This record gives sequence, C-alpha cells and structure tokens, in this order.
Amino acid sequence: MKHKEFFRFETMLVCVLGLEILIFNKTGTNFGTQGNMFEVLRLSTEIGLLALVMTPVIITGGIDLSVGSMLGLCAVVMGKLWRDAGMPPMLAAGCTLVLGAAGGGLNALLITRLNLPPLIVTLGSFSLFRGLAEALTRGVDNFTNFPKSYLFLGQGYLFGVVPAQLPIFAAVSVAIWLLVHRTTYGRSFRAIGFSPEGARYAGIPVRKRLALAYILSGFVSALAALVYVARVGQAKADAGTGYELLAITAVVLGGASIFGGTGSVHSTLLGVLALAVLKIGLTLSDQPGELAGILTGALLLAVLTVEAVARKVSARPLRHSSAVKGI
Amino acid sequence: MALGALLLVLALLAPGFFRGGQLLSICSTVIPVLLVACGISLVIISRQIDISVGSQFAFCSILAGLLIQAHWPMPLAALAAIGAGACCGAFNGALIAGLGLPSIVVTLATMVTWREGLRWWRQGEFVHDLPETFQWFGLGQAGGQTAVLFITALVFTIMVLGTKYLSAGRFVYAVGSDAEAARLAGIRPHVVTFGVFVIMGALTGLAALLNAVRFNDVDPRTGTGLELQSIAAAVVGGVAISGGRGSLWGVLAGVLLLACIAPALVFLRLPPQWEKALQGGIILLAVTADGWRTVRASRSSLS
Repeated sequence: MKHKEFFRFETMLVCVLGLEILIFNKTGTNFGTQGNMFEVLRLSTEIGLLALVMTPVIITGGIDLSVGSMLGLCAVVMGKLWRDAGMPPMLAAGCTLVLGAAGGGLNALLITRLNLPPLIVTLGSFSLFRGLAEALTRGVDNFTNFPKSYLFLGQGYLFGVVPAQLPIFAAVSVAIWLLVHRTTYGRSFRAIGFSPEGARYAGIPVRKRLALAYILSGFVSALAALVYVARVGQAKADAGTGYELLAITAVVLGGASIFGGTGSVHSTLLGVLALAVLKIGLTLSDQPGELAGILTGALLLAVLTVEAVARKVSARPLRHSSAVKGI
Repeated sequence: MALGALLLVLALLAPGFFRGGQLLSICSTVIPVLLVACGISLVIISRQIDISVGSQFAFCSILAGLLIQAHWPMPLAALAAIGAGACCGAFNGALIAGLGLPSIVVTLATMVTWREGLRWWRQGEFVHDLPETFQWFGLGQAGGQTAVLFITALVFTIMVLGTKYLSAGRFVYAVGSDAEAARLAGIRPHVVTFGVFVIMGALTGLAALLNAVRFNDVDPRTGTGLELQSIAAAVVGGVAISGGRGSLWGVLAGVLLLACIAPALVFLRLPPQWEKALQGGIILLAVTADGWRTVRASRSSLS
C-alpha cells in the first residue's frame, strides 16, 4: 500500500517536472542554462524553507498558517534591531531566530496545552504576527541599506556561480530529511498524524513532539526571513504575504495527506521545484505571471483528482462506507 | 461578552462612537463580512472549510459591475452575481463531496485559480462609470443603506430560523458531528455537503453585490483576506472548528466585535496600524478561553 502511494505521487510529480523542463527549454530564452538552474534554486529558497518545515507539521495532521506572517514579522524585527537598536547584523540575526522559535513556541503552547485546533491557533497568530509587523513599522517604515556582508547571504555567489543561500537551503533540507525519515522523531510525527490517541498509548510524548514541530516551524521561518531580507535588500511589513499558502501547496503537491500520517521531505522538495520551475519558465517564455497562479491551482486539483479517482477505482467495494471527510 | 466590554469602554471614553450615522456606516461595512461569515459558519458546522470565498467575492463583484455596464437591468444582474457565486460554490462542492477531496486543499486551489484568473482577465482594471441606478440601487445613500440593511436582516433571519427549525438545517449539524452516524440515520452526507457549498457561494455572491453597490466603481482586488476575516469571526463567535456546534447569533457578535476594532481605535485615538494585531490577539484570547474551559471541565470530571 505504501509502495503504491509512493509510486503514484512521486512519479506523477517527476513527470510534471520533466514535462515543464522540456516545454520551457523549447519556449523560454536562456531557460536551460546552468545559471538559470541556480537562479530557480535561489528564488525558491524562502518558499522551500517554509515548505520543508511545513512537512513535519502536516505529517502530524496539523497545519501552520502563520509562517508567512512570521517571515514578515522577523524581517521587520531584523531591520529594527539592526538599524534602530544599533546591533551588528550577526547579533540581530541571532535575536531574530530566537524570536522565530518563540513565535513557534506560542503556537505550540496553545495547541498542545489547550488542545486547540492548529488551524485556528495559527489563523490567530497569522493575524497577530502580521499585525505586529505593521504596528512596529506603522505600516510605512522600510528598512534598507543593510551592510554588504549581510546582503551577500541573499545576493552573493560562492565561487562566482553558486548562490550563497544554496548551502543553507541544502543544509536545512538534509537536516529535516534526516529528522523526518531517519529518527524516531519522524516516526512519532507519522504516528501522531495517524492517531494522536494511539500514539499516546504507544508511549510517545505527543505534546513534546508536536511542540517540536511548531517551534521548528517558527525557527526556520525566521531563517527564511533572514534570507529574504538579504535577497531583496529591504524589510517591509508585507514581506512574505501569501507564502504560507505556497508552502502548503508545495507540500500537498508532494503527496502529503492534509489529514496527517503521510508525506515525505523529498517529495515536498519536488513540489517546491515544480512550482518554481513553472513560475520562472513562464516568465522566461514571456507569458503573463497570472498564468503561473492559474496553472498552480489547476495542477493541484488535477493531481488530487487523479489520486482520488485511482483510490476510488482500487477500493470500489468499500466505496459506500467512505463518508465525506472533514478538514 | 467581549463585545459588551468593548462597547462599554467606548461608551465611557468616546461617546461620539454611538452617533446614528457612525453606527449605520459600521453596519454597512460589516454586512458583506456578516453574510460571508454566516455561510462559512454553515461550512464549518458541516466540518469543512472554504478559503476561496475572497476570490469568489471579487469575481462576483466584477461580474455584477460589468453586467450593469452592459445595461442589464439591476434585478437580472443581481441574480447573475448570486448565481455565479453559487456556481463557484458548486464547483468546490462537487470536488469535495463528489470525490472526497480535502476541502482546505480544494478551496486553496480554487482561491488561487479564481484570483489569478480574474487578474489575467481584467489586468487589474477597475470597472468604472457605473450608472446612477447601480449605486445604492439608485435610492440615495440613506435609502440604499436601509435597503441593504433590510435585505441582510431578512437573509440572516432566514438563516437563523433555517438552521434551527428546518430539517435541512439540522442535517448540517448532524453531518458535522458525525457523518457516518448521519448516513446511518438516513441523511445523505454528500448531498448536504454539496448543498452547504452552494449556499456558501450564493451568500458570497449576495455579499459581493451588496458591497459593490456602496461604491461607483468595482476594485478587482476586493475581498482579499475576506476568507480569514470571516473564519475568524465565526470562531470568535463560538463555532467549533471540529464541526457540529455553533450558532449564527454568536457569529453575529463575532463579526461585530472584529468590525468595531478599527473604528474604535480611531475613536480612542490609538494608531490604526494595531488593528490586525488586536484582531489576532482577540482570536487567540477567544479560543484560549474556550480551550481552557474544556481542559478544566475534563480535569474536574476526572477527579
């Protein structure tokens, strides 16, 4: 069963990705160059980071809507600490990372201690974090002129070709992959996703594991904020608006069930790549940017529909007992 | 209760808040959110969610504007807007109830698709120069506001009575509490879910129409963030996200509470940028209070 599901989503996604690359190679100027391949990775780093940490959260059956707002808040705080509090960039970045973990901790606290649904808690913090970012900047302040050494993180190239944020992306990918697929933590995420109650009876400290997933989510969102600010060279309160939905899209496209229990880090990365290649390929082919959004939505629906139909066909005798699923 | 507290603070510190014109203007800004929040509450009570309403809202607004510009009579254009909303809802409903896809993912996809499709089609252009008969239905501001308020009150009353006394309304609660049990009791959960999404779409269309008549042009970016606003209002109003529980009166209070924050900040001479942060804080406070009560109740029942 597991093998089948693996086969379906990943092959489908690899096919989509291959098809995209083939088409854009024909239609796009400079699409197939080495430089552009690195550019795709450079531009997908922030969404990629968010999608990476969203994966364990979704595997536990939860969701984190606050990552985009967290990115915005952390971007503003980074700017504020550096410019107004006069901290050196390294120290300001460190404080920002702590703030990210603390924000994740707030979500974790409400979700695990009060048994509140993650959707609602993170909807509240989605509004709260973005609102704090707006309040801190009074809606207009914009932080610019960061020192060169910090901007290198987002705009520089190692050895002249490799974007400087790529090592970070790679390191976080490997770390999260190891966490989810090679440790007992990852195993317990999956167990919790299938059944929190069952996991508790199996002796898994459910609250601690859930808290880890959400704190990690906040921490990496702060990291994504640092990369984002370095890349665009400015920090405004609206940084990262809508990123949470892109991250969730990438994870779901990668085959993780929104009900929890399944999902893998490498398919999430495939999902991120499929979205990024689509967006950049369309731009290089002189197509309107809106088309990328439309196709993203259509792709998501198509992949899910194919999967649902396949499941229905293979499980026909059980069909009548399958009630409508909740969120 | 929180709404009462906020109103009391306002009454003490800024009596100007309660002048008739001010209240009427809050009412007319709150109407679209209220209608959408009612629809969302039904969806949440049936244990689904819909985050595409903001995009549907924008689509219906633009459609209504364009049809009026093409000299369709007002009632026909209004029906078309509501119908378009119902079609969007039916599309969601078909995928969710028909194929059993998770509603949050389906509506995430349709949210992006409608919004970007609209942007592609209109290229961000406003619908300008609407005829006199469109704004406030040609009744002038005061008359129009009363008419809009009347329509909303009517729809709200029907919804309240419907969820309470109609068997179809009770089915929504039954499906939300336990779809399998509802099926065994002879309810068809798929049909109920589909119907809920159609009603959601139609209400969004109506809300879009009643919002559009307030201005003499239509902004294609309208309705951005409406989904989260209305979900927040429903949750603050006591609708349980796990389905099967919630009343529309609570939703009304939730909508009013969240809508009063922005004008209240102005009247209390606080910086308006705090609105979103306060809204988030109120949502978290409301759910925390609820969660704490349940945790304490379960503890005391154990001991």
